[in-house]
Amino acid sequence: MRRQLRWYGASPLHLLALLACFGLAGYAAARLVSSRPLAVAAWFIGAVVGHDLLLMPLYSLADRSVMAAIRHRDPQLPVTPWINYVRVPAALSGLLLVVWFPLILRLPSPYQASTTLSADPYVWHWLAVTGALFLLSAVAFALRLRGRSRTARLRPRSARRRALTPNPPGRGYEYQPDRPGHRRGLEGGPS
Amino acid sequence: MKDDERPAATRRSSPPPPREGRRKRRHRGKPPGPFGPSFWRSPIRGPWLTSVLGLILLAGVSVVFVTGLLSYAAYNPGLSRINDQTHGKGLLGFYLFSWPTHPVWLYRLNQGLHVTLGLVLIPVLLAKLWSVLPKLFEWPPLRSPAHALERLSLLLLVGGAGFEFATGILNIQQWYKFPGSFYTLHFYGAWVFVAGLVVHTGLKGRTVIRALRSRGLVRELRTDTAHTEPEPPGSSDLVSPVPGAPTISRRGALAFAGAGSLLLLATSAGQSLGGPLRRTALLAPHGQDLADGPNGFQINQTAAEVGIRAEQTGASWRLTLGDAGPGGPAPVRLSRADLLAMEQHTAHLPIACVEGWSTDNQAWTGVRLRDLARLAGISDPASVLVDSLEAGGAFRHAVLSAGQLIDPDSLLALRVNGADLSLDHGYPARVIVPANPGVHNTKWVASLTFARRA
Repeated sequence: MRRQLRWYGASPLHLLALLACFGLAGYAAARLVSSRPLAVAAWFIGAVVGHDLLLMPLYSLADRSVMAAIRHRDPQLPVTPWINYVRVPAALSGLLLVVWFPLILRLPSPYQASTTLSADPYVWHWLAVTGALFLLSAVAFALRLRGRSRTARLRPRSARRRALTPNPPGRGYEYQPDRPGHRRGLEGGPS
Repeated sequence: MKDDERPAATRRSSPPPPREGRRKRRHRGKPPGPFGPSFWRSPIRGPWLTSVLGLILLAGVSVVFVTGLLSYAAYNPGLSRINDQTHGKGLLGFYLFSWPTHPVWLYRLNQGLHVTLGLVLIPVLLAKLWSVLPKLFEWPPLRSPAHALERLSLLLLVGGAGFEFATGILNIQQWYKFPGSFYTLHFYGAWVFVAGLVVHTGLKGRTVIRALRSRGLVRELRTDTAHTEPEPPGSSDLVSPVPGAPTISRRGALAFAGAGSLLLLATSAGQSLGGPLRRTALLAPHGQDLADGPNGFQINQTAAEVGIRAEQTGASWRLTLGDAGPGGPAPVRLSRADLLAMEQHTAHLPIACVEGWSTDNQAWTGVRLRDLARLAGISDPASVLVDSLEAGGAFRHAVLSAGQLIDPDSLLALRVNGADLSLDHGYPARVIVPANPGVHNTKWVASLTFARRA
């Protein structure tokens, strides 16, 4: 892409590649929309904004709310060590719901008639998997807290302070030793 | 993975002042909110993470696309209009070929891979979309004609991906809310998506290589949250000029998406693997076992659903063997007893659905299709039109190719696993052909009309 077309803003190859792309897409799209053009276009646009303007604001809001709520309750509590133990199971459960919501909510009317299977178990399966994910996460968090406090107990106080602040100054953002909440959160946290 | 955190002032590595100043000038008058670069705060967002996710997605989506094209070929749409759900395909059917009958698990593997891998890629797709979020809110929205065209191609890419995943996910759950025939939407939609994907891959290839070289994969996978640093500010639009404190490492983010993929795999693959593993597919549409017994394997269309009445399948049922050409011999009519009196063969074949689920091999017993062709007076058939008792529906009939017809394992099955077919499995007789898509193994067969070679 060395030579630039000044009026265009990129190389001629860039233009050719995009025109070829639109040629193929147009050929397919003409067939795609042949029956119900407006409805198909609406689905297509919905697919573009579905994540960025719907899912993302929802999960970001949920994420921030959880962090803010906990921080509000106890401003000394470090957010980082525990947030992923909530975030991961919640997101994985949400992922299963986003993918399987028609069966979980028993929406497909032909399902039972065509497969002879009942859609009733899906909501329970989803809840069971969700429960298992949170349980696993809680166990993992408890193990981590125990591991941390044990290593901390085995060391003299000065070393202990260092162990709890793994990043040397200037290398990262977390576990700033001047924030007293960290020690409390790691040693006497919600274990 | 979140975008705020502590106020910018407490952050240690803020971008160098001159750059910040220039940025401010260039973006004067910019609307607040997501259109401003400082709205996006994640310290792990950047070309490296996006490139890794993009490469995984590219590899996976390529397999899903190819298996999708193969699945279309498996219907033999070139053989007859009846087999073709997308008549207007034109040049997009350039690659079609006569679908083979061996190995017998070919369609089972193809569709299991297509659907399961598609599901497994969903978390990677979501992570990728998250990683490039600030791009949607670029300001100014259009910098040049080149930029405008490239953004338009991204519309095809992102819209096409969402459209393909959404129609596929809804179709396997039989929630037919999409606007039109699944085949039309999913097939043409795939080409729109791939057009966007190819050009995006071409345009971003160098960026990806540069990004991957900028941080070693092994080193990155050894870096925990505490040591996670943002990519150099200003190196890309994706890098926040005011990154927040990390709450997850890049390694953690990749593991997060990977955990989502594993979870979807674990809760759906069983419906394609079958056997005792079926019940591990806790959320997949065909993850439940049916009652035990010779006919206790998965069904996707019941007799009641398609309006088959008891009197149609009773003692008065006759199979009609016909000759499609003019002036052929008179049609032959056979009762079920006539068929059972003919030479019987047993073939061990699976049922594999376009929706991705499949069964283990079942022992089907019946009359070879090629024997029936000979009985109809045609020794060298070119194809056969199979008609069902079903009154309507796109798959009430199907055309099988010469290769499918002459295969010794291609049967008009009367019995399965040592018992008569159940009504829902196609009693009095159904077609079973190795490596054939499930809907082309027509149930409740009423007639076979053979075509001679020209």
